Amino acid sequence: MKKYFLILTPIVIILVAGIIAYRPAHTWARAHVNYITAAEDHSLNCLSCHLYTQREGLIPKLIHAGYYSPFNMALSGDGKRLYILAEEGDALIIADTEIRKVKGKIPVGVRPHSIALSANGKKAYVSNQWSDNVYVIDLKAEKVTDTLKTGNGPAGIALSSDEHYLYVVNSYTSDISVIDLKSGREHKRLSAGNNPTGIGMAPDKSKLYVTSRRALLMPYGEPVVCELTVIDDQHKRVTDRMDVRSAYMMENVDFTPDGELAIMPLIRPKNLVPSIQVERGFMMTNGFGVIEQKPEGRIIQFLVDEPNSYYADPFDIAITPDGKRAFISQSGVDLISVIDLDSVRALIDESTTEMLEYYSNHLGISNRYVIKRIPTGANPKGLALSPDGKKLYVAEHLEDRIAVINTDSLEIMGTIDLKGPGRITMARQGRRLLNNAGHTFQNQYSCYTCHPDAHEDGLVYNMASKDMGRNLANTQSLRDIGDTPPFKWNGKNHTIYKQDGMRFSTVLTRTEPFNSRNLDALVAYIITDNPYPPNLLYNPAGELTDIQLRGKALFERTHDNLGNEIPEKNRCITCHPPPYFTHKQMEDVGTLIASDDSMLFDTPHLNHIYASPPYLHHGLALTLEEIWTIYAEDDIHGAVNDFTKIQLNELIEYLKSLSGPEYYIDKNRTLMARFIKRKK
Amino acid sequence: MTYNGLKILASILLTVVLSAVLPSCKGRAMSGMLVITQVPVSSTDADFCTGESWRYLTGARLAAVDPDRPGKIRVLTGNFFSACSPDISYDGRFMLFSGRQSESDSWQIWEMDLRKMKTRKITSFTEDCTDPSYLPDGRMVFSKYTENDTVKISHSLFTCKLDGSALNQLTFSPVANFATTVLKDGRLLTVSRQLLPEHGNPVLMVLRPDGTKADLFYKGSDSIVFLKGGAETDDGRIFFIENTRESLSGGTIASVSYNQPLNSRADHTSSTEGAYLAVLPLHSNEMLVSYKKPGTDHYALYEFDNVRNTTGKIVLDDPDYNVFDIARVMKYERPRNLPSEVDMMVKTGLLFCQDINVRDIRMKGNPGKFGKVHMIEVLGTDTTYGKVTVEMDGSFQLKVIADTPFRIRTLDDSGNVESGPCAWLWLRPNERRGCVGCHEDPEIVPENRLAEAVKKPPVVIPTYFGEIKEKTVELE
Repeated sequence: MKKYFLILTPIVIILVAGIIAYRPAHTWARAHVNYITAAEDHSLNCLSCHLYTQREGLIPKLIHAGYYSPFNMALSGDGKRLYILAEEGDALIIADTEIRKVKGKIPVGVRPHSIALSANGKKAYVSNQWSDNVYVIDLKAEKVTDTLKTGNGPAGIALSSDEHYLYVVNSYTSDISVIDLKSGREHKRLSAGNNPTGIGMAPDKSKLYVTSRRALLMPYGEPVVCELTVIDDQHKRVTDRMDVRSAYMMENVDFTPDGELAIMPLIRPKNLVPSIQVERGFMMTNGFGVIEQKPEGRIIQFLVDEPNSYYADPFDIAITPDGKRAFISQSGVDLISVIDLDSVRALIDESTTEMLEYYSNHLGISNRYVIKRIPTGANPKGLALSPDGKKLYVAEHLEDRIAVINTDSLEIMGTIDLKGPGRITMARQGRRLLNNAGHTFQNQYSCYTCHPDAHEDGLVYNMASKDMGRNLANTQSLRDIGDTPPFKWNGKNHTIYKQDGMRFSTVLTRTEPFNSRNLDALVAYIITDNPYPPNLLYNPAGELTDIQLRGKALFERTHDNLGNEIPEKNRCITCHPPPYFTHKQMEDVGTLIASDDSMLFDTPHLNHIYASPPYLHHGLALTLEEIWTIYAEDDIHGAVNDFTKIQLNELIEYLKSLSGPEYYIDKNRTLMARFIKRKK
Repeated sequence: MTYNGLKILASILLTVVLSAVLPSCKGRAMSGMLVITQVPVSSTDADFCTGESWRYLTGARLAAVDPDRPGKIRVLTGNFFSACSPDISYDGRFMLFSGRQSESDSWQIWEMDLRKMKTRKITSFTEDCTDPSYLPDGRMVFSKYTENDTVKISHSLFTCKLDGSALNQLTFSPVANFATTVLKDGRLLTVSRQLLPEHGNPVLMVLRPDGTKADLFYKGSDSIVFLKGGAETDDGRIFFIENTRESLSGGTIASVSYNQPLNSRADHTSSTEGAYLAVLPLHSNEMLVSYKKPGTDHYALYEFDNVRNTTGKIVLDDPDYNVFDIARVMKYERPRNLPSEVDMMVKTGLLFCQDINVRDIRMKGNPGKFGKVHMIEVLGTDTTYGKVTVEMDGSFQLKVIADTPFRIRTLDDSGNVESGPCAWLWLRPNERRGCVGCHEDPEIVPENRLAEAVKKPPVVIPTYFGEIKEKTVELE
């Protein structure tokens, strides 16, 4: 009896205490969650905030899963081997296409982007976007045999026609490294458009096209123009810079085998139009550009969208060997659009240039040439066609799987499982959501559209949340923002939950808001799995150069050039302290323009600021220099007007050196160490 | 535990299980059943073919039919003088309908609990209400006869909670809106017909459940009338019944694609003799239809294969009654619950037009613009609200008193009417709405350019107001 009593007593006490505490605890928890989410109906789930958003310690290690995330691909000449770049797995995966199984994996650099094969099929060249190099791989030995230094952020690559040179598109420095493969050294550097990624060689081997993702930097109000760079292969020179108007995010390019047309997927943004509705394509349209390969050839744009259905985030394109069909991966809506190219040719032939211009904004024309939409797994990216054109391989980026499509029946005939973790973590689910347009009215755009690679698209939008044409908003990066509240330029959102909750639905997606679980997942991804790339351009080894050190001293200075003490609130370091270089307060730095309401601004974080032009809330400062040379006349945005030109340059050089926050949190860890660690 | 204790525990468990299971068994009694509206063949006020007066029927009743045992029907509204327009809730447990209990009553909206077979009245107006439909947020939308200075005369759309509270008018124009359904994207699809200043042709309109972003969805040829509104299938087609106004032979089944409704019409019964009155898509190729065979005088319930476009076997045939509506008791996927930008504390809405000179090229044959328009006139139901000079790039921005019908016409340099007026427009409080042009091709999207009009404050409509002082509300 005494034994039972001893057992029962604490149970009863706990039960009674639980009953007594339940209501106040529940009330407190409800109020707490309501405050965090700025909603009253978010589920009371402690794990969503206190488990899935943890970045350090044992718990993240336990719940983390290492995914491959297949990105771009290449097929061997006989079509028997598929080479798949695992963007997050940092590996080149080799798959046997006959048995549809993975046969091997070769570790490569950080964030491999693109692959090119030599004509004899013996070598592969893999660009490692976060390592600033290209790996040369002996495919027979399955070993890395050489490492070629590139510019910053190597993405698309292509061999010259004689295979003596390798063109590497440097996506972060917006140029192209021409690497002499004999010496393994960069032969020359060609300038490209803004944030170039794709490269394609014409069938006659005379030229290459390089596509850009970001529009050329222009003051708000000027037309959006994206550059298509043309390179003469023989002379390794840029021979033309073609303006692609009203378009951006031109990720890749391919040619018809007869060399008659080149085609590139693209997005036609509407950032200059007030964002007052999604209906009737007021926010984004998605399509492709056709570059006529003849003298005075035009760039003609067509949409893949339909009046009530949009096909967000076109990424890659593959054209069949007979030149009859093109396949475009629509990564935001998980499907492949099949384009009948003869219909495109007929439309071009029968239409005047004026009509074609009209069609570039016409949602009803796509039924003339889009013959099918083939559903795929999550986030289809890179495409590869078999040599006979009978099979299309689709990298299902967030599925860790390759889909195989029969190009006759236009049905999926099988898959290649890359043997990823097999479970979907909250952060992974969040990444899927961020990359999917299903949570936007009529699938017109995804978070990725304006935040490619969870960064930002370099455009300024007229969000029209108040009156039209007022309070322009420069898109901000999502990288490593978890610890930088508040959010939004006006700082009205104190958590990411609020930022991406109901207001997001009302202002941006204009459809049903994320449910609690999906919002938790999205927040988990943004907070835990969204780092900056290493700052290999300006701060590769974690040590500042002399000029950067001088800039740092200016950034932290307490006295001006005349020896006068600078008021504390006017020192750079006061509002921009490390590790995020923001004190997370609202400030007036004298940057309001006529179209702004009177307001304070959330002090932005400065990590990787060099990669986020344009600058300031309105995006009118196209460079870091312009922040002070044009928009800081009155010393409100830091005491800088006594700077010499050299000093301003030193400050800018220091700002460009700013890396991810972890570098400033733990000085024993270099920036690179983070990625190497993650890789292991 | 003792034997008795086990017995007690077992009894408690059994009671709990039974109390949980029994109500759901009762609820399932109606699951899968069809609910149809039956209208006496002898009814003289049911003008089926022209669609002029087919909402308010005499002697109509709702009846349940088991599709597996179609011979037996169960009248659900025996205590009503007339009832029609059934709409099943997304969980399949309730049904909205419009009905009048006695001949002297007006038509009101009722809800029936399909488990308990009990009805309750939701609306209590002196004016007639009809065509209810559940909304994804737990409210309902319905048509209500409206006559006032603002809309003159109309059947306006309203929403309210299912207890009849929180009444909210959605449409504000002299237009009759009927047969509203909810699309999967969360918008309302309604048959809409202009009443003033002259009767227009019925069209399918789409709008958000807060009354914003009203827009044309589908327009048939000029003589087309809609006998039934849209029923959306899982594979993205919208089926409806239409008829030519001249024809008295009955309707045909047509459908359009959700993706491209204006240019995807398919006629499913053009080669079929007889007439159709209602359609209910069941699966991708299977539908139920109300069909009048040639040589008969009433509409019966039939299966229909919409791939082969053939009428199948008969499901229910009652020579005394026409089948007027068809619904099925089952769970449905809830449409998207759209957020609202409406703020009732705001008195106005904003209308932005990117370029008034952008017109539908089909009117001229090429994308060249018509003659440059420099001025528009905004017209109310009785009076002009003023003339507005448009910007050099053809753009204009208006701040219009909310919930007020208006139309726009274009004027030439001499002030003569150049084109228009357009169809009736209205803006909900705090609504921001955009147009690409004027009578432009509805499939055209705006060009990405900064319009002159958004660099300036909007022009207040009516212009004699000059200024409207109110707090600007941010969409948050």
